[in-house]
Amino acid sequence: MQAEIHGSDSLVRSSPVSDSRAAGALRMLRRDLIRNKLRIALSASRLRAATILFCSLVFWWGLFLLFLGGFQFIGIYLDLANTIVEYLFSMFFLSLLVMLFFSTGIITYTALFHSRESTFLLTTPASADRIFAHKFIEAIAFSSWGFFLLGSPLMVAYGLRVNASAGFYGMFLVYLVSFVLLAGSLGAIAAIAVANIFPKRQKTVLALTIAAILSAIVFLAYQVVRAPGERMSSDWLGTVLGRLAFCQNPLWPSRWMSAGLLASARSHWATAWYYLMILSAHAGLAYLVGAVVARDLYRRGYSRVQGGRSSRRRARVGMFDPFFHRCFFFLPRPIRLLILKDLRTFLRDPAQWSQFLIFFGLLAFYFLNIRRLSYDLQSPYWRNLVSFLNLAVTALLLSTFTSRFIFPLLSLEGRNFWVLGLLPLRREQILWGKFAFSSGISLVATETLVLMSDVMLRMSPLIIGLHVGMVAILCLGLSGISVGLGARLPNLHESDPSKIAAGFGGTLNLLVSLVFIFSIVTALALPCHLYFAGQEHAETARWALSHYQFRFWLIVAISVSVVVGVLGTIIPLRIGIKAFQEMEL
Amino acid sequence: MIELRNVTKEFGSKRAVDGLDLSVRPGELFAFLGPNGAGKTTTIKMICGLLAPSGGSVRIGGHPASSPEARQLLGYVPDQPYLYDKLSGREFLRFVVEMYGLERRHARSRIDELIDVFEMNDYIDELCENYSQGMKQRVVFASALVHDPKVLVVDEPLVGLDPRSARIVKNLFLTQARAGCAVLMSTHLLAIAEELADTIGIVDHGRMLATGTLGQLRDRLQHQGPLEDLFLKLTGTDGPSLGNEKFAIKQPTTA
Repeated sequence: MQAEIHGSDSLVRSSPVSDSRAAGALRMLRRDLIRNKLRIALSASRLRAATILFCSLVFWWGLFLLFLGGFQFIGIYLDLANTIVEYLFSMFFLSLLVMLFFSTGIITYTALFHSRESTFLLTTPASADRIFAHKFIEAIAFSSWGFFLLGSPLMVAYGLRVNASAGFYGMFLVYLVSFVLLAGSLGAIAAIAVANIFPKRQKTVLALTIAAILSAIVFLAYQVVRAPGERMSSDWLGTVLGRLAFCQNPLWPSRWMSAGLLASARSHWATAWYYLMILSAHAGLAYLVGAVVARDLYRRGYSRVQGGRSSRRRARVGMFDPFFHRCFFFLPRPIRLLILKDLRTFLRDPAQWSQFLIFFGLLAFYFLNIRRLSYDLQSPYWRNLVSFLNLAVTALLLSTFTSRFIFPLLSLEGRNFWVLGLLPLRREQILWGKFAFSSGISLVATETLVLMSDVMLRMSPLIIGLHVGMVAILCLGLSGISVGLGARLPNLHESDPSKIAAGFGGTLNLLVSLVFIFSIVTALALPCHLYFAGQEHAETARWALSHYQFRFWLIVAISVSVVVGVLGTIIPLRIGIKAFQEMEL
Repeated sequence: MIELRNVTKEFGSKRAVDGLDLSVRPGELFAFLGPNGAGKTTTIKMICGLLAPSGGSVRIGGHPASSPEARQLLGYVPDQPYLYDKLSGREFLRFVVEMYGLERRHARSRIDELIDVFEMNDYIDELCENYSQGMKQRVVFASALVHDPKVLVVDEPLVGLDPRSARIVKNLFLTQARAGCAVLMSTHLLAIAEELADTIGIVDHGRMLATGTLGQLRDRLQHQGPLEDLFLKLTGTDGPSLGNEKFAIKQPTTA
């Protein structure tokens, strides 16, 4: 055995370490990591890589067709077409500016202050701004791929619509990079500021900011919906555009983006270059400010955040546990205990329930205002359409909830997985416990929302009953899919639920959930739609359903939905149980 | 080489480190002992520049602990070491070498030397995600030593190591110290401290209760028993009680 290390005699160290050397080391690290990950993806996970690529292409193509159709539709309004496109671009990029600001800010915050890698890097000679740059590039790449996926089909569709020259497509890429850099830098500066000013309150700050922005969005949507005049008429459009005029403010980076891109599409190159210079100069400045802020405040912020985690919350059992046991006496006690554990974990992480609360709260706010929008006074055809759309939106929201929170449940057991394995329970009972937990929460939230929507729309008891049944099928199915696939495709190495949800298993879970929702909603919505359409428009009588046909097809649709629902619940759960039973802990 | 003067660290209303003085000279192997929650890891994080002290000063080789000069002198092995899962051990060592700005022509031989010392030839080119805890620990030790640090700080050095690896690490500590490196190790394994340390510091509730060689501690406490008894006596519990008499550790009677 050798234990002799010859150090100082033979080793020559260039001291002090130059910043360019540290930068080179970090570049080398990134290059090695990307190369190794690609090699693994291409050799061991070809199916996964192909699925992701295929889904991205399908998504891109779908968006492209949607945007192309949208631009063709806007072309109908000859006088207002250019103005509408300008407003649409400004609103689109303003929304993306806000989303990029938050997503990059949150990812940068986690990467700088809560990752083990940054702890390691902070002990090396790399300067704080160099570490910031390294993590910032990762955060930008992670948060902006969706932006490219959304922005590129929009721009290509618009370019084709107006016969833009090839230069437009090249310039559009430079615009996108500058825009992402600007929004991301602002988000990163905010992340470092929050760590320094509110080291213990970062989640509260985030929740309050998101709530404020969502309130602004609701207010804006309300203003647009309440615009007077006949829908889609020129007058109505003029009023709506007037209410959206704030997005045309010349100080918004999104305005520079839209004005510059539109100019380049029309081959007004001087204007296009002018806005590109403004945007890229501000992006460069924002990044520079971010680097200076990181140089001066990153280490201080890190120390404050690490110190800020010392407040010890004491858990109180209170009366809830006995109450819960009494209410769910029919479930085996071990399963009740597992549900209580998951419930406690869920409630003690505000990042989880606050998102749930905000989105479901917004939906409830909209449903409660249905009568103010006079939807309840519309014809049965429109009310039926709106009620099914409301139900579909509720189901889609539920699917994001189950993909984001229920799918990662088993993965999050991670290193403690063996505890579950050693419990005096059959393994399938553990999954049934998680299924009961998910279904319980989902049923309470979504049934309340759908009942609220139907009551406000003054729907008939038959349709209300139908919707309640549909939602129950959807809740059980989506819970079964998320619990089953969560057990079949666990990621035991990851502790961040958002990363688990964003991985292959989470994406597949979301896709399967969407297909499930589409199957159930379409099966039941179609007969209702055909029946009410016949009542609304006489010219549709040829293919509309009579009352007798409606009852027949509704029974068929309900039977099909129940079968699909049962299969959608049982099959994923069976797959999950089988995988969980065979899993070596 | 490591100098802490009247260092305090407060986390809200809690004082984790309270007026701590500590000094480790070049060539000295200092064992930092204390019960759970005594403030050892917080102190180590301040020495590594990860946490800023609320009061007092922390200096490494005369430089403030948060300065690049101090980090250049330092090798740190944390209690939960970090490795990039998608890098091989060799790639990780190459990255560290670059980061510390070592001359490239010497770096390769230095890495090879450490791979031999830690007996990592069999697995060093595999991805770290396939390593056991002990393998990871060896790579981390190698990365902490690859730039020939003047100060080595190790938190719980033997966690996850098999007896052979533990022996390598123990020999390494002694070699480093004899070569002039200041070594600070925090541990719960009193036998290791007793076997290796030149100086022992016992900390509790953020305060240094006693510092000195084992002999000096024995003389000061007028107790000739093993270090474990000294430790329990200093930290205020003759035997941890588990609510049952039969679990209490009896203090051996001294003549």
